[in-house]
Amino acid sequence: MKALTANRLTDGEVVFWTGSGWSERFVDAALFDDNTAAELAEAHAKSQITLLVDPYLIDIAEVDGGVAPVSYRERLRALGPTNKLDHGKQAGGGADIAVLAHAHGAARSKGRVDLIRRK
Amino acid sequence: MPRLIRFRDGVAAWAEDAFTAVDDDQPMPQGDVIISLARFQREGRDLLAQGRNLGVRLASDEEPEDLVVDLQRLSVLALTFPKFRDGRAYSAARVARERLAFRGELRAVGDVLLEMAVPLVRCGFDAAQPADLTTPEQWTHAARRFRHVYQRAADGREPAFAERLGG
Amino acid sequence: MYRYDDIDRETLADRAAEFRDQCARRLAGEMTEDQFKPLRLMNGLYLQLHAYMLRVAVPYGALNADQMRKLAHVARTYDRGYGHFTTRTNLQLHWIKLRDAPDILDELASVGLHAIQTSGNCIRNLTADPHAGATADEVDDPRIWAEVIRQWSTFHPEFTFLPRKFKIAVTASPKDRAAIRVYDIGLRLHRDDEGALSFEVLVGGGLGRLPHLGPVIRERLPVRHLLSYMQAILRVYNRHGRRDNIHKARIKVLVAALGPAEFARQVEEEWSLTDKAAVDLPGTELARIRAGFAPTGFETLPPVSAAFESAKASDKAFSRFARRNVMFHKTPGYALVNVSLKAIGETPGDCSADQMDVVADLAERYSMNEVRVTYEQNLLLPHVKLDDVPAVHAALVGAGLATANITLISDIIACPGLDYCALANARAIPIAQDIARRFSDPVLAENIGELKIKISGCINACGHHHVGHIGILGVDKKGEEFYQLTLGGSAEDDAAIGQVLGPAVSAERVAPAIDRLVEVYMRERRDGERFLDTFRRAGLPMFKEAVYAEAH
Repeated sequence: MKALTANRLTDGEVVFWTGSGWSERFVDAALFDDNTAAELAEAHAKSQITLLVDPYLIDIAEVDGGVAPVSYRERLRALGPTNKLDHGKQAGGGADIAVLAHAHGAARSKGRVDLIRRK
Repeated sequence: MPRLIRFRDGVAAWAEDAFTAVDDDQPMPQGDVIISLARFQREGRDLLAQGRNLGVRLASDEEPEDLVVDLQRLSVLALTFPKFRDGRAYSAARVARERLAFRGELRAVGDVLLEMAVPLVRCGFDAAQPADLTTPEQWTHAARRFRHVYQRAADGREPAFAERLGG
Repeated sequence: MYRYDDIDRETLADRAAEFRDQCARRLAGEMTEDQFKPLRLMNGLYLQLHAYMLRVAVPYGALNADQMRKLAHVARTYDRGYGHFTTRTNLQLHWIKLRDAPDILDELASVGLHAIQTSGNCIRNLTADPHAGATADEVDDPRIWAEVIRQWSTFHPEFTFLPRKFKIAVTASPKDRAAIRVYDIGLRLHRDDEGALSFEVLVGGGLGRLPHLGPVIRERLPVRHLLSYMQAILRVYNRHGRRDNIHKARIKVLVAALGPAEFARQVEEEWSLTDKAAVDLPGTELARIRAGFAPTGFETLPPVSAAFESAKASDKAFSRFARRNVMFHKTPGYALVNVSLKAIGETPGDCSADQMDVVADLAERYSMNEVRVTYEQNLLLPHVKLDDVPAVHAALVGAGLATANITLISDIIACPGLDYCALANARAIPIAQDIARRFSDPVLAENIGELKIKISGCINACGHHHVGHIGILGVDKKGEEFYQLTLGGSAEDDAAIGQVLGPAVSAERVAPAIDRLVEVYMRERRDGERFLDTFRRAGLPMFKEAVYAEAH
């Protein structure tokens, strides 16, 4: 599963393609099961040079309560910095933010390799 | 064919390019030509003997010092920017102008963009073949953007420290 | 402090106007992002994870009160009320909008501030000893020479598109507080028996992927030839530095490949061909710049202050602050007061707009209108009367800026890391917060003594991890944050690159690992040894064993 993201040119805000426009919230992101459709959307986004900077596709996985970006970096983009929870998209709160924040905790503990013990 | 802009007294204008740029594998046309350093080393003497005006195009890893004996016989020294971020030609230009006293046309070729106007002119270039769609008016404006400069370079502009002495 | 004249001010105004034009062309679609990106970067404007980030230059770390207030104003008006001071003594604003950037540059220019050359493959904003003009051990004021280089390097036409970025640091003291051995060029001033000043020139230090300590390529350069010699170094680098591989493009790679002796020979040859008189500043201009830094307004005071001594005797917190954060000034009766941006549990280097205003007011009232930014991500009031230190301390306490931890275990350097930075592999800030909380007891921290922890969220090493007594490097392992520890590094006179302790550990194991390391040190240390000294004497295995013991 994929979603399409970019930063908005005028203010740098992280945005997600909804299928008909761009939203600041990950919960609005259109999810692509089909790579061809995803790449078509990406190509279209790349032509919107006065609107966007650097659109790209991200991997999405199912998590408790919904879906979330697979990579930690992308979850941070969808939430905001962890040192200031009142900044970024997470500041508004809501169920969708909770899903992402939880996914972040879950994905971090899931599959953790403790190298101290592995030695 | 990239068009040629020439700077005279700080004003840029479109210029007729009397020179044909010739690649190493092309047959030699008639008239004035710009050729690579390698080709110049093979054929330069003969071409000059034919009374032609000659230019040499240096790649960004070639140095004007390699031409030192012949430099004064050249009409054009073309310095290549393979990417606009490759700034080697600025050093080459200053060496050619300030150390080797080259007085012919110093031409910027390759990935030459408007935003390079200031460093190009300051380092002694007086001609450029822009790779973008910019106009001489834009180049004139861009090259004059700063009222002051802090260093002496190849363009003869008075640096801040000299201005301060005068003021 | 040096004040910009009309030439300096008009140059900043011209630059701001140029960037306004470039932004307009980008927003109108006349430029692609590929064309615009290098231009915005040359004005310090990055696109990071959540927004644009503006890196404002603080040349040689020196600010006056008006400039600090302007930074506060910009942080409040255009950002979210705070900024982050970096190891390059710049200020980074994390939540900037491109459409506001031209107005911000105008605001900054109005007080002589800018973001020129805070990114890009050019000569970057330069750093100097933050104790300049206040420390007794300097042979000259290094800011004079830093300002000379600032002007010379500003829009240098030949060196605008170098193979890679280029950083210069200047000190005039035997004690290195500017990390000159890890800079592309490190300059140390010397004064000989006749009083003549010269530079010791180090070239090719640096951190990042390939850490190097810069070798000396010239022992004594007469100061009047500083700029012509710099031009020679930069020209050799511009012409011969690698451009085929971004990871091998820094000057340190060229110096290492040629060997310092051959590199020095090439520089001397280039320099011998240089028309030095055309490049070097005339004596009159040097004198003009020097006058800008001349000490003024110091009073003749007794070396001991009754007010200071009685506050020390009566107030335990003040006494600790005086021990940790207050340093001797070359002028009797004055002190340097360090303002820690490392309050326990806060983000290292972060400073709120309100805190900036407090520091600006204190600078104006008590420190001859001067503030310094240190590469260890703290602020410093360089010229405070001992009599006034209690009042300054009280004001700092009120603003949450009085943490008495300078050089201690919680005085941690950390880059913004993955919380903000588009290049990072892992977060740095929460690691620093964890460690600081664990060692929040000031008595314990003082007992441990000097211990410099430096954390980077990726190999680019903005957090100087290679030269931390304990260095921590964030790495990505299959999408998870892991941290590699190094021990024994230093950025000072005893500069060294740290040794890797062992396999990387997960985020929540970092602070416990620091605990183990400190335990070993406390057990093994001999009289007067710092953590670094004990490590160097006792060696790596004992420390490694302690951290990885649970594996057995």
